[in-house]
Amino acid sequence: MSRHTTARRATARRSARPLTALALAAGLLLGTAPAVLAQDAETPAGEEDGTDGDADPAAEPTEAGTGFRDAAVLGESGRGTARATVGEFLYWAFPVAAGHDATVDAVITFEDEGDRSGPSVWQIDVHDGLRRKQACVGGDATVEAAADASEVTLGCALRTVRSWAEPWSGDPLPGAYYVRLTAVELPEEDLGLPVSVVVRTTTEDAGGAHARGGELGAPLVPTPRAGSLDTGESSATTEEAEGEEAGSDADAADPTTDDGVRFAGVVAEPDGGWNGGWWSDRWLWTVGGGLLGALAALGGYAVVRHPRVRG
Amino acid sequence: MIIGRRLAATLSGVFAALTVGATASPVAAEPRPSQDPPKVQLVLDVSGSMGESYSAGQTRMDAAKQAFNEVIDGLPETVHLGIRTLGANFRGEEMDDEACRDSEQIYPVGRVAKAEAKEAVAALEPTGFTPISHALREAVEDFGGDSDNSRRIVLITDGEETCGPPDPCEVARELAAEGIRLTVDTLGLTPKDDKVRTQLSCIAEATGGTYTAVQDVDQLTERLGQLVDRSAEVVVEAPTAVEGAGDDCAAAPLLRAGVYSDREEMGEHRYYRVQLAPGRELRASVSVAADRPVDRDYAVMLRLLDEDGQELARGREAGHGRTDVISTGLRYPWAERAALPEADADGGSSASPSPTPSGDTDGDRDGEESVLCLEVSNAFSAPDSVQRAPGMPVELTVDLVAAADSPSDVAAFGLARGWVPLVLLTVTGLVAGVVWGLVRRVFA
Repeated sequence: MSRHTTARRATARRSARPLTALALAAGLLLGTAPAVLAQDAETPAGEEDGTDGDADPAAEPTEAGTGFRDAAVLGESGRGTARATVGEFLYWAFPVAAGHDATVDAVITFEDEGDRSGPSVWQIDVHDGLRRKQACVGGDATVEAAADASEVTLGCALRTVRSWAEPWSGDPLPGAYYVRLTAVELPEEDLGLPVSVVVRTTTEDAGGAHARGGELGAPLVPTPRAGSLDTGESSATTEEAEGEEAGSDADAADPTTDDGVRFAGVVAEPDGGWNGGWWSDRWLWTVGGGLLGALAALGGYAVVRHPRVRG
Repeated sequence: MIIGRRLAATLSGVFAALTVGATASPVAAEPRPSQDPPKVQLVLDVSGSMGESYSAGQTRMDAAKQAFNEVIDGLPETVHLGIRTLGANFRGEEMDDEACRDSEQIYPVGRVAKAEAKEAVAALEPTGFTPISHALREAVEDFGGDSDNSRRIVLITDGEETCGPPDPCEVARELAAEGIRLTVDTLGLTPKDDKVRTQLSCIAEATGGTYTAVQDVDQLTERLGQLVDRSAEVVVEAPTAVEGAGDDCAAAPLLRAGVYSDREEMGEHRYYRVQLAPGRELRASVSVAADRPVDRDYAVMLRLLDEDGQELARGREAGHGRTDVISTGLRYPWAERAALPEADADGGSSASPSPTPSGDTDGDRDGEESVLCLEVSNAFSAPDSVQRAPGMPVELTVDLVAAADSPSDVAAFGLARGWVPLVLLTVTGLVAGVVWGLVRRVFA
């Protein structure tokens, strides 16, 4: 389902492309290029902050999940809180579209009254929709909290999400991302003590330099459905197998049960679509180059023809 | 001017070429049975020690009763709740067989009549011992027959098992391995007691639950409410239990898209088969849960093999330190593979004048579904004292989706960016204009 909507949306936008692009290119030629480029890079990120951060209360869960499948769902740029205990494994899921940079920050506030007996090491792990661990290229993902610390702050910046990658590469792809927060080292006596956690996700457009080609058949959003065994006899024909697979596609996109209850841990498609939209400042550069080329051609032509005209 | 116009026309042409829309066919979701109501069983320790003073003149029992009342008041409609006691009836001094079977269901798992449930709790008097293992077994029985939904047990106690062996932690692990999806959350009322804490956190770890060291009655109430609400709000379809083949892929179960659960012992391999149609992509993820104490370093590997045992893709992950699960995944589009067997088949038929039967089948396979093999292996290890059976929980997710469109260019739409292409285009235009001008000068 989501795939069709994306496709349709993209087609609708594409029809408006030439005019927009030409108009913008004209702007580039008039010398306003840097301003336009700068604006363009900033606006989408700003909009996301506004819509996903505050408007939707559902995007601000007050609980964390206990595993991948029941992870609490956050917005692209969202916030979640949880009251938990030392030693618990806390999970959140959030969507990231292609061409976006995602960052996760977490603040753990200790709520015991000086009961902790020693230092503990806290860590954020981010897994992608295939449950592959993704590298944190920025931020402190592993931090030691002293026994008397009142809070500890963690952060993890992911690599820019690609729109396409070779199947055997571990590159980050559009889809669900899972945040796991836990104490990876702790004195055994401190298990079960209360903490409160605030986790925040920030997703922004990485800009035209990271605008890539290619598209996945479906985002990396795993199905929430239980599997069914193929016993061989019942679905020996190709057609049935095809139907089964087509059904699974729909399942992956439809995160609700037949009663309309939403499955836990299924992220929603970001506002701009999974592929991050067709727009990038590459259009400006390319069209600008074409127009400059056209002007240079006219100029060159005029200069060479000039003597003839005068003479 | 002509060149200017031509350039504009070319540019428009490029734009027109780019307005080719993607196509996709609608697909229908197949109907599924509706969900069972979430079931929660509260197991409360009513042993003699619960009569000890807790805080502000309250006994532990009072605190537990207060928390229960508040949780029952705020209970979501959808939740089926049961209450079971341990150590509520036995009045003797000596611990014997009877004391170790002292666990009673005071409220059956089902829709809750709030007044009745509260009454049942109010009547409890602390006495007896703490037969946790027995209570856990009974609590699982209480849930009744088969259900595809999760079962959650919340165990509230102030003391460790008094009737061991067996260790309740091992009992919990066995119960969780019996094919039902069981989570035991434990709440310890005596966080300073090392034995209680170790046992309760072990029970939680064994079933993927949580352990809470309860500080005061407010925290007890809040936590209890949170755990009960969690079962109501979090809708997760229980994975289909499956048993992977141990050593032969041909005997492995054939999986469709969805989530499966299995058990795998330390160092064991398990095989599953998946059918992949042309133009489709297989995505598989696996998590192996460390539900018992394990050595510091561990790893998991997921490999995709073809019929001949050739590796097509793999995912692997290693880790160290405290963890709940270790996961990895892989994806594999059908199209990538088609080229290889075809090339082999061609090579084979050109070498021999008459094509061999095996060469034929290879050729025919092009454009048809292939049955691939998933191999899940783990490299967990543990001290000798740790029980190996039942195996550790494995969760396998299989997705079959449309294969990705390979990009014709790594840049979006093949567009240029930066000063080099800008200058290049300008210089090209200039040169073209000058040349055209010269041509016009010579021939006009």
